Amino acid sequence: MLEFYLAQVVNGLIVGLIYALMAVGLSLIFSVLKIVNFAHGDCYMIGGFFSYYLATLLGFHPIAAVFVGMLGVMAVGILIHQLLLKPLYTPKVERKGEYAILMTFGIGIFLQNLAMALFGPWTKRPPDFIPGVTKLGFLFIDNNRLVVAGVGIVIMLVLLYVIGRTFIGKALRAVSQDRDAAAIVGVNPVRMNLLAFGIGVGLAGAAGALIGPVFLISPVMGILPGVKSFVIIVLGGMGSIRGAIIASILLGLVESLGSVFFLDPTRGLAYKNAFGVLLLALVLLFKPTGLFGEKFVRLE
Amino acid sequence: MRKLFVVLAALGLGFLGSAAEYILIGGVAPLSAPGAAESGHEMKLAMEMAVAEINAAGGVLGKEIKLVVEDTRGLPEEGSAAMNRLADMGVVGVVGEFHSAVAKAEIEVAKARKLPFIISEAWADVLTAKQYKYVFRIAPANSLFYTKVADWIRAVGFKNVVAIVENTDWGLGVNGVLERELGTKPNIYGEKVKYTYIVAERTVTDFTPQLLRFKAMRPRPDLIMNIFTGTGEYLIVKQAAEIGLAPTRETAMFAVGTSALYPEFWETVGDYGLFVITKTGYHPILGVTPAIKEFVSKFREKYGRTPTFAAMEAYDSIYTLVKAIEMAKSTDPDDIVAALEKVRHDGVLGTIYFSTEKEPAWMYHQWPGAKAVVIQYTEVGQKYTEALLLWPAILKP
Repeated sequence: MLEFYLAQVVNGLIVGLIYALMAVGLSLIFSVLKIVNFAHGDCYMIGGFFSYYLATLLGFHPIAAVFVGMLGVMAVGILIHQLLLKPLYTPKVERKGEYAILMTFGIGIFLQNLAMALFGPWTKRPPDFIPGVTKLGFLFIDNNRLVVAGVGIVIMLVLLYVIGRTFIGKALRAVSQDRDAAAIVGVNPVRMNLLAFGIGVGLAGAAGALIGPVFLISPVMGILPGVKSFVIIVLGGMGSIRGAIIASILLGLVESLGSVFFLDPTRGLAYKNAFGVLLLALVLLFKPTGLFGEKFVRLE
Repeated sequence: MRKLFVVLAALGLGFLGSAAEYILIGGVAPLSAPGAAESGHEMKLAMEMAVAEINAAGGVLGKEIKLVVEDTRGLPEEGSAAMNRLADMGVVGVVGEFHSAVAKAEIEVAKARKLPFIISEAWADVLTAKQYKYVFRIAPANSLFYTKVADWIRAVGFKNVVAIVENTDWGLGVNGVLERELGTKPNIYGEKVKYTYIVAERTVTDFTPQLLRFKAMRPRPDLIMNIFTGTGEYLIVKQAAEIGLAPTRETAMFAVGTSALYPEFWETVGDYGLFVITKTGYHPILGVTPAIKEFVSKFREKYGRTPTFAAMEAYDSIYTLVKAIEMAKSTDPDDIVAALEKVRHDGVLGTIYFSTEKEPAWMYHQWPGAKAVVIQYTEVGQKYTEALLLWPAILKP
């Protein structure tokens, strides 16, 4: 039986890493732009389709397709930012919070319907990163999941390095802490917003591209991960990248173990998505700002 | 202002005048998420094909037919709204639907708005068991088909069956029939069949935790019933194979949903689909009638894919409704219902007619002639029409 629980823990960790890749992008966008990107799940979906077509139509290696797909989604993100989100920083938009919510919601619905029209409703599976299964003693792990976990860790380490150790990272953090003060010392906040939005949706795109061979792709694939990302960033603390990573892994473990420990085993999987919300409610009861959140953030 | 009113009134009269030139028929199907859009699209294509053919042959009652297909998105409230919209437009009858939960909402509107409704591909018993005057069904009722699947399970000698069940009216309905049937009769060796199930939401993408639980069970399950449709159905096949659970020598996999018949099944599950068992309402072994041959060939030519029985049911639904209108020589809903109770249409799936027996309850206005077979894929990429036949069942209640 110990083997069974270990298998559940390993599965929960891998799923948690997948969630993390998606959630850190959303967290980065929130920390710098102070808006919640409701189109995040749909950027995840676009990443899945970009990499699918790069691999199947243009013959890219599946791993290369992930990175090129990520760049493609970054480009889409930059376009969205420049065309639709830039008015946020001008005085002509009075109710910035509402504008951002409505705009990103609208973009999400548009992207989903565009994908339905362009790619059809059919479920698709991108080529495997590495076909087959790895047997580690009693554990059977799909090679694709191992690749997703490995590449996900690398991407997150690079992100943490960039945010923590480079000039760009310092500039992003400066804007996230105080836009005016950052501007006074020569950091262009609008440029940092653009960069944060591009990187944020690019990370969602990478997550969607990586997840394709594991959970398959379809125009609606981003709906649930999008919702889970919101749960994660609130759980981890709005705007905290470290919090988002820890909350993602926690959510993966809670979902995996919760569905097998649930009192009524016939309903465990039916309530799987509810475990995250329950966890969130419990954390918020005792720590209203989430695990690593700041006390107050708002788009000024 | 008065001029504007006159213009608008003229436009309105013009619209009504043009409406009389054709007969409006409604279609309902899930064409977008979270519904099974792949099945809905296939049904829509088949409906459009039927209407085009009927119009090319002169229409009905000397008028052209116009088809309006509404997207129900797999949501009961959308289905209900779609039926009301169609009624407001003046449709003389409605065909279609794939999701039982949605059809359950739609039959209430059909009843309230006196709208003849032929359900094409929703299986829950309750849909005809309510015995509504305006509701008919071509798809088999769950009880009509899954009692036979239970017979097959017992005949093969399975004794430890587990199921992952979609939390929908269809999924829970199938589960209810299997639980009842397997719990009451022993298998061919006289052993009690243990049936265990778990219910999951349609949005779940990672079934691994529960599949690992099945793998840890002792004795290990000898059959997994994958009572899901769409992406979930594919993911269960894929993830069960990835952890070495099924299909294996010890554990078989029965993919119950229609999605296992689509070409996307192989694209998404790849080699893991080998030896998966599924069911279909159409298979060449049931007899390739000229009607089936013609329909399959026309559908392939027009849309580039082999139709499943969901498409055939939608196609037959349109023809059956039109034949009833022709018999009734009227578009009055009560006249159409009276004609539907007497209709005999030689369709793609066989001679379509509707029972008026009230026992069992689901038999009322049900086409009792639905055939279904259990098949198994024996080669990777195999078409379902070439899969190995495991269980022929000419269904009779």
